[in-house]
Amino acid sequence: MPQGIGKIKIRLPRTVRKGQVIAVKTLILHPMETGLRTDKKTKKKIPAYYINDVSIYYGGQLITHEDWTIAVSANPFMSFYLKADKEAPLKIVWKDNKGGVYQKTVQITPR
Amino acid sequence: MKKNDFSHARREFIKKTGVASAALLSLSALSSVIPMGNGKAGKGDWLGPRAAEAAPTAPSTGAIKDKLRATFGDRKIEMSHVTMKTPIIAENGAVVPVSISSDLPMEPGNYVKKIYIFVDANYNPFIASMDLTPASGKAAFSLRIKMRKTSQVRAIVETNKGKLYGMTKTVKVTIGGCGG
Amino acid sequence: MYKKISILLKTLVLPAAVMLVTGTLGVGTWAQAATQSGNKIEKLTPSMSYAEYQKRYEKYYGDFTAQMAEEGNPAEFLLDDGKDLANKVVGSKGKSCASCHGKDALQLKGAATTFPKYNAELKGIMTFPLQINTCREKQMGAKPLKYESYDQLALTMYIKSLSNGMPIKVSIDGPARPFYEKGQVAYYKRQGQLNFSCAICHVQYAGYKARSNLISNNKHHADHWPCYRLKWGKTGSLQRRFRGCLKNMRAKKPPFQSEELRNMELYLTYLNNGDLIQVPGMRM
Repeated sequence: MPQGIGKIKIRLPRTVRKGQVIAVKTLILHPMETGLRTDKKTKKKIPAYYINDVSIYYGGQLITHEDWTIAVSANPFMSFYLKADKEAPLKIVWKDNKGGVYQKTVQITPR
Repeated sequence: MKKNDFSHARREFIKKTGVASAALLSLSALSSVIPMGNGKAGKGDWLGPRAAEAAPTAPSTGAIKDKLRATFGDRKIEMSHVTMKTPIIAENGAVVPVSISSDLPMEPGNYVKKIYIFVDANYNPFIASMDLTPASGKAAFSLRIKMRKTSQVRAIVETNKGKLYGMTKTVKVTIGGCGG
Repeated sequence: MYKKISILLKTLVLPAAVMLVTGTLGVGTWAQAATQSGNKIEKLTPSMSYAEYQKRYEKYYGDFTAQMAEEGNPAEFLLDDGKDLANKVVGSKGKSCASCHGKDALQLKGAATTFPKYNAELKGIMTFPLQINTCREKQMGAKPLKYESYDQLALTMYIKSLSNGMPIKVSIDGPARPFYEKGQVAYYKRQGQLNFSCAICHVQYAGYKARSNLISNNKHHADHWPCYRLKWGKTGSLQRRFRGCLKNMRAKKPPFQSEELRNMELYLTYLNNGDLIQVPGMRM
């Protein structure tokens, strides 16, 4: 299992103009076990452990919500678009099927 | 010189076996055209025509069809307004980058409500969906997905008025390729 | 009627048989040439120019790995951990990398460009991971890191990434020369059940396909390690890649940082002299 589950990287464009549609790129460390693999040593199925719910809040308002299944790659990469029309925090929350919640907030300051 | 001898012997051998197998082949070829015996191919008649019994089963596309019907009902999916970028070949089916974008407007009252990704050959064809609001500005997102084997990837976009647009692309998964 | 058919089929079967015989003969002579060559280097010429190879690559794969690397490379998580490791005090002498090489080991900028290089104490070729472990043992009194472990890759990647954008300038003059030649011999040596050498694929047949993969040209092979590889779904080193290729050739796999692999690394890195270092990389 990789170290440091729940480490997050969020990448924004260097400069953001007001009203511009910007791409936000995110990476999170997570094994995304499918529940279909067997452990080679113990011959037992590895239980499913994956992120199934992603919510994106911009200034307290839910702007995007995603449903994921087991078929999203390990260490999921996701990018989405956002209209930067106000100075507000961008909060992204990942939830997995074992109750883990990982979140990170970045400030968006359009010029 | 030795080599030549060997090859000569080999040639002779193959010639002979070739003739023998040719005889066999011709027999069986004949038998498949002209029914032998009483003219009816019985159950245990191995020389009888076999076209009917060994019909190859087509890969079932039932799962994806059921899934699409369950999610969208009988609504028609129009193949336009959506572009999808995927690699042609993925050496590892566990990491296949897919990016979907649509040129549909994102204004209040007229926007893309949801984007879906499906992969036909996966046990669960549904991969991910994304609910959007006009605050997104652009109907696009990208994700890295897992694929069990070579199959089609479908991107389907639903607008707030209930219209469906889509695009499909085939990705070849070549696990067990040359890279060590 | 039967006779007629048999004669007809005979004429069809004969050419097939001849082809079979010539085919087996061809394999025989090929194997012979390989055993005779010994320590000599086979003369192999690239079957296409690098520009032609690039054209084929673009047609076959497109630019999606480059794009993925730009968008988000999972190996970047290791970089942060590597930075922490460089500042962490370990071992009996109470030192960290930072206590000799400045804060965040920033003085090591450009250090990775000259590796692998000859080391007099080792009487052999010093590679970058080996240098880090030697440093840990001798200067810090700490345990060496296990090769291909998370910490080892993270630390190597971080210190190598300090030289990003600088050209590789590996020297093979003086005492390094015999090791370079040994590496070259290893690169051109036919080995394994499939009787391949590294060079036959990556020099002569680069640009052709092997099992639906396009064989890569050995240009830019050594400038981005450790890198994240999609096939592994993990980060790994150049020597892990060497071992993977050797396994596919059904050949013996030397252990990590063994002399053979270090010499081969020197040879390959020398071929890539002048390429800009870009760590962490991302490959298929």
